[in-house]
Amino acid sequence: MSRMSSPAAGAALVAAATAALVAAVPARAHHSFGSYNMAVTRVVTGVVTRVNPDANHLQIFFAPMAENRKNVLRDAQGNPLIWAVEMGGSAQMAREGVTVNSFPPGTVFSISLHPLRTSDSVGTAGPTGAIFRCPWRKPPPPGENCDSVPGSVEIGRGGLLKPTG
Amino acid sequence: MDFPALIQSIQASPPAQWMRTSLAAMPVVEAIHVLAGATVFGTILIVDLRLLGFPDTRRPVTRVCSEMLRLTWIAFAVSLTAGALMFAANAHTYIGNTAFRLKMLALLGAGVNMALFHGFTFRNVKSWDQNAPVPLAARIAGAMSILLWVSVIFLARWIGFTKGFDFQVPVNPHIDFQF
Repeated sequence: MSRMSSPAAGAALVAAATAALVAAVPARAHHSFGSYNMAVTRVVTGVVTRVNPDANHLQIFFAPMAENRKNVLRDAQGNPLIWAVEMGGSAQMAREGVTVNSFPPGTVFSISLHPLRTSDSVGTAGPTGAIFRCPWRKPPPPGENCDSVPGSVEIGRGGLLKPTG
Repeated sequence: MDFPALIQSIQASPPAQWMRTSLAAMPVVEAIHVLAGATVFGTILIVDLRLLGFPDTRRPVTRVCSEMLRLTWIAFAVSLTAGALMFAANAHTYIGNTAFRLKMLALLGAGVNMALFHGFTFRNVKSWDQNAPVPLAARIAGAMSILLWVSVIFLARWIGFTKGFDFQVPVNPHIDFQF
């Protein structure tokens, strides 16, 4: 039985590692949505306060808007409530159009999310559904979302999901 | 430029944007960071173990140092470059992460430990280079080095599991929430 010489074996190893690396690049793949209640879908419209461009999961922190869409929900002290929604890795989301630059603080957007099993103020965008970004400083009419605002941008496909649960 | 502005400019820099938007950049740079870090720890461990007298004192300390530490420095430079790119991609989050801060502290400690060893203890190495008991100061330096570098590795892994949802970051006061 012939054995590979060590340079050939090394080259094969590098090739295998490279192939594994390329194959590992995900297309909106996810390890698990187990910590989220995927049976519940909420549609929220909020004002971006911060984007955390984490390599594994980009997160948008936002102040959810009141039904009248004139202000945001606030606590007893008058400070905005802050929620967060998690999505794919920052590079994957950049391909879809979600970056720190395209969602600066103050951006009004609508998203359908599935809340954490342990907290209502944190959710995941999940594997389906779109995000709508309103034009700058143009929130939707009372009770509506950014998908009803002319000039809003749809990121992803299929519109906002139907609220359930 | 104040500190928050400096962090902001690092995160907004072209290399940081490249790290965030390329699908391959982060996994490749992270793999390089790990490989170079493993080389740093592996070569330093050989020196540290020799300082502790393992497996024996037959190999001259000066020879072990000159053989290993050259590789350590090259690997450290590679690891530092890759680490800086990873940091830049999400500088705001890293700088506020406790595990990251402790890792930087452990790295600083490892650097000070090494500087003290080479500045003082190593000067009279000729008297304990080979087939001689290693002085206590050198053994302490070796043990401290292992402890600090193991801490660096543990803290580095800790970062990945603690930089999740951080609601402690204050809301930018310039955001106008009234429409």
